[in-house]
Amino acid sequence: MALHVPRAPGFYSMMKEGARHYAGMDEAVFRNIEACCQMSGMTSTCYGPVGMNKIVINHIGKHFITKDAATVLQELEVAHPAAKMLVLSSKQQEQEAGDGTNLCLMLAGFLLKEAESVLRMGLSPTEVVAGYEKALEMAQKMLEDQIVGQVSDVRDIAQVEPLIRCAVMSKQFGLHERLARLISEACISVLPQGGHFDVDRVRVCKVLGGSVDGSRLIGGMVFRRAAEGDVTQVIPESGRVKVAVFACPVDFLQTETKGTVLMETAAELANFSVEEERIMEAQVRSLAEAGARVVVSGGKVGELALHYLNHYNILALRVSSKFDLRRLATATGAIALPRLTTPTAEEMGSCSRVVTQEVGDTNVVVFEEDNCKISTVLLRASTENLLDDLERAVDDGVNAYKALTRNPRFVSGGGATEAALAVKLAAAAEAEPGLEQYAISRFANALDAVVKTLATNCCLNGAETLSKIHAELAAGRKHIGIFCDPDSGESAVANVSERGLSDLLLVKQWALRLACRSACTVLSVDEIIMSRPAGGPKPRGPGGDDDD
Amino acid sequence: MTQQIQPRIILLKEGTDSSQGLPQIISNINACQAIAEAVRTTLGPRGMDKLIIDDRKKATISNDGATILKLLNVVHPAARILVDIAKSQDAQVGDGTTSVVILACEFLRQMKPFLEEGVHPRVVIHALRRGTQLALDRLDEIAVKIAKDDPAQVRSLLEKCATTALNSKLVAHQKEFFSKLVVDAVMLLDELLPLDMIGIKKVAGGALEDTRLVSGVAFKKTFSYAGFEMQPKKYANPKIALLNIELELRAERENAEVRVKSVEEYQKVVDTEWNILYDKLVTLHKAGVKIVLSKLPIGDVATQWCADRDMFCAGRVPEEDLRRTQKACGGRIHTTVVGLTDATLGTCELFEEVQIGADRYNLFTGCPRARTCTIVLRGGAEQFMEETERSLHDAIMIVRRARKNDSVVAGGGAIDMELSYHLRQHSRNVTSKQQLLIGAMAKAFELIPRQLCDNAGFDATFVLNKLRNRHANGDLWAGVDIQREDVADNFTACVWEPALVKANAIVAASEAACSMLSVDETVKNPASSSTLPNENKPVKPGRGMGRPC
Repeated sequence: MALHVPRAPGFYSMMKEGARHYAGMDEAVFRNIEACCQMSGMTSTCYGPVGMNKIVINHIGKHFITKDAATVLQELEVAHPAAKMLVLSSKQQEQEAGDGTNLCLMLAGFLLKEAESVLRMGLSPTEVVAGYEKALEMAQKMLEDQIVGQVSDVRDIAQVEPLIRCAVMSKQFGLHERLARLISEACISVLPQGGHFDVDRVRVCKVLGGSVDGSRLIGGMVFRRAAEGDVTQVIPESGRVKVAVFACPVDFLQTETKGTVLMETAAELANFSVEEERIMEAQVRSLAEAGARVVVSGGKVGELALHYLNHYNILALRVSSKFDLRRLATATGAIALPRLTTPTAEEMGSCSRVVTQEVGDTNVVVFEEDNCKISTVLLRASTENLLDDLERAVDDGVNAYKALTRNPRFVSGGGATEAALAVKLAAAAEAEPGLEQYAISRFANALDAVVKTLATNCCLNGAETLSKIHAELAAGRKHIGIFCDPDSGESAVANVSERGLSDLLLVKQWALRLACRSACTVLSVDEIIMSRPAGGPKPRGPGGDDDD
Repeated sequence: MTQQIQPRIILLKEGTDSSQGLPQIISNINACQAIAEAVRTTLGPRGMDKLIIDDRKKATISNDGATILKLLNVVHPAARILVDIAKSQDAQVGDGTTSVVILACEFLRQMKPFLEEGVHPRVVIHALRRGTQLALDRLDEIAVKIAKDDPAQVRSLLEKCATTALNSKLVAHQKEFFSKLVVDAVMLLDELLPLDMIGIKKVAGGALEDTRLVSGVAFKKTFSYAGFEMQPKKYANPKIALLNIELELRAERENAEVRVKSVEEYQKVVDTEWNILYDKLVTLHKAGVKIVLSKLPIGDVATQWCADRDMFCAGRVPEEDLRRTQKACGGRIHTTVVGLTDATLGTCELFEEVQIGADRYNLFTGCPRARTCTIVLRGGAEQFMEETERSLHDAIMIVRRARKNDSVVAGGGAIDMELSYHLRQHSRNVTSKQQLLIGAMAKAFELIPRQLCDNAGFDATFVLNKLRNRHANGDLWAGVDIQREDVADNFTACVWEPALVKANAIVAASEAACSMLSVDETVKNPASSSTLPNENKPVKPGRGMGRPC
């Protein structure tokens, strides 16, 4: 009797009910490519200075009007697993270079699209991946040849501003001049001598109303909150204002352990509040004697404490965010004290002036500092959405400055670098003997597609513009890209480096690398297994808390 | 089975709504037109009011654009931008909220045909920005500066601005009366012109003309205990103590506990509690205080005690009133009675309690540092008074702005016609596509005089033709004359508004229009179902508005 071998169960019977499984070229690879292309297509209209905005409404109903790809993707909550990989790569781009998220995303999309045709031709994904890796290596080398110049002094505003302007231009075209000026001034003013640039030192304070032209730079920190007591400004005749920073509430401390005040005699009862007042007064008096003119509290300011603070003419401000408190401590050189004690001379911070200003109808308290470690860009605009988007543009600009301090070299912008790389890669592909040839030339096509998209967004004919650029490049001219004139709003093919359009080398390097890697990762997946989504409450969505 | 092999590609979460492209822009513009329709009839002196009933069945009558839009609870993503600019205009200048909204919509409406014909939105945006700059430059150029050194001239300027602002409000019939009142109120303030130092109190009953300005503080008599009737209600030059102390028998501390061993000791504890209260009162009395005001309750023991010693007391005074009293009368708000000196006590020339309408009011007048004032509004219906309060608020804001910036332009559509004329002239010198677009913008500026005429029931085409003619002949300030259904020189007719109001309205409207045009896609995520949106959820701090940075 033959041995009975039970038939192995099928895939679905091995998994819990509700699991999904896709495998093979048609089911997994092509579908992944399709999904990724769809997503990158969504943000491709945002690319470039004259790209369009999107309104995104997230799951709690908050509006975003933006063309920042990272923000759009973050709020979109992409569900497709392969598309998620692209989102991750653009997030990484944001962390590494601070800018160029859209470039990274689009390039990855185009790489995948181009890969599809070679895959259908019969190449295996591994061959395409190998080719792409090789192309990336070549492109990185070629990128070095594209360098236009470098910033010799990161403190020189004349050198820094054009680069920041290009970074901001892609976010807020038309307002870029003003913003770039603000950002470069802010960044240079907080760059420590010989130290690393910390993006956290450039703060943004948004106040609704007025126009973008009303935005300005304030040396020091700005809090959108009025002072607690009667004292609203401290302007010393000479010297500096001493600031005491407390991470705790300025009030009587409450015991954590449950306790009661036990009184045994009537005298104790009579003296209780008198004693309390005496202690608080002694506390505030010793603060005043230590020279403190401003008290910043991390929690509430007790009524009795406020009474004595008013009495001793001390300005009291409540800062509820722990992060802001820490920044203020850095800015003033104070040490945030965990409990209400009199700070020693070292623990006391100082600044030049503390004033209250009316901006629109909002009162803000400004800790001014003549040579400050923190500066604040006060943004004004007529809508909340615009304010939020301006803030993102400022963030990008500041990140661009940070990248600049790490690597001061830059290449030409406006699609010129991509176009030049594409031409060179295409030529290099011809010389390649193996099967990688196909993939490398597809890589070049993908770069061309990026230029084409930029042209389309600039209301030019994509194919026509691309051929024009190629012709110019073939004629031996360099740095040919698309220039969008901010004065007339018209775009044309021109030598962009002469027009001052340049992008940071670092941004391009990372964008190429991350786009290629994520595309390769997506290509190398041939099977997706999804288990049944668990019931119960939804886990915390992507993005999480953005408390800076 | 085939279903399982080839499911739809789900890129985004299910339920996500995504619409894009040019149709999206056009549909956004259409949504904005609907909003503009809702508020356009409120513009101008002959504008109509709106009665809005909110979700709590509370009726509000208003013709203030910002108020109406706020109450409408707009959810359309693009139209919410309009609500935002109305809010921003309110914050920045305080008036002109209706004009900013309809101006933004008109910009969009005029640009719509171009978009439909295939002009790229970016080109339109560029033209809008350029047109705005041109308009602002022209505004600066023609705005009339008033010399600040002549007080009489400044005053008349302020009154004219207030009159223009009030012209379009519910109280237009009493505009002379109220504009004087508003200017008086603002003149009483100090250099910073803090808005919260003008208190507005509403007392039902009486006529609008019974409204009075108290150069000092006035607030409604607070809840009082027995013994209050015996207290004097009028003092000359009293000392005033402002307290943040509960004058009542109370536990010294919430978690305090007294353990006694004998009856005598117990009695002593009871006595001490009384003594603590009496000590405070004695301290006040010894310092010569005649009037005691406290944020916290003043109990019947203290009330009676004060009555016996020729003192007046009022507990549970609202904080803002107490602060204003402090600003007017000097002194400090005390949280303890220890360390009471004359310097920390306030004073005023006259304190009295008077009857206004059905309410008793505490009046402090002749204050040494009268940096504050109170407007006591009288009127019939409650909604009517609320609208009057909003109107006065707008007028006060206008006067404050006018006091800070002294350049004015003529209202009543005059400035709008002039800007329109200027832009049209300029557009003829432009060779590119911009010519048509800036021309369209010029047309958009004509909306305000047109709407003024429509609302007043005039023949708008007729009046506008006349206006265009006058402006072409160099008559800068020709505007709509509401009284005579004609055109007139509105500058000599004293219809003035601060240039700043107009400048801000133009900027805000164009910024809104630009951001509306720059959006080609709306993606809406499904609201998270596990929690209710907004209310029950620990929302991210601020949500764009309240987060202190």
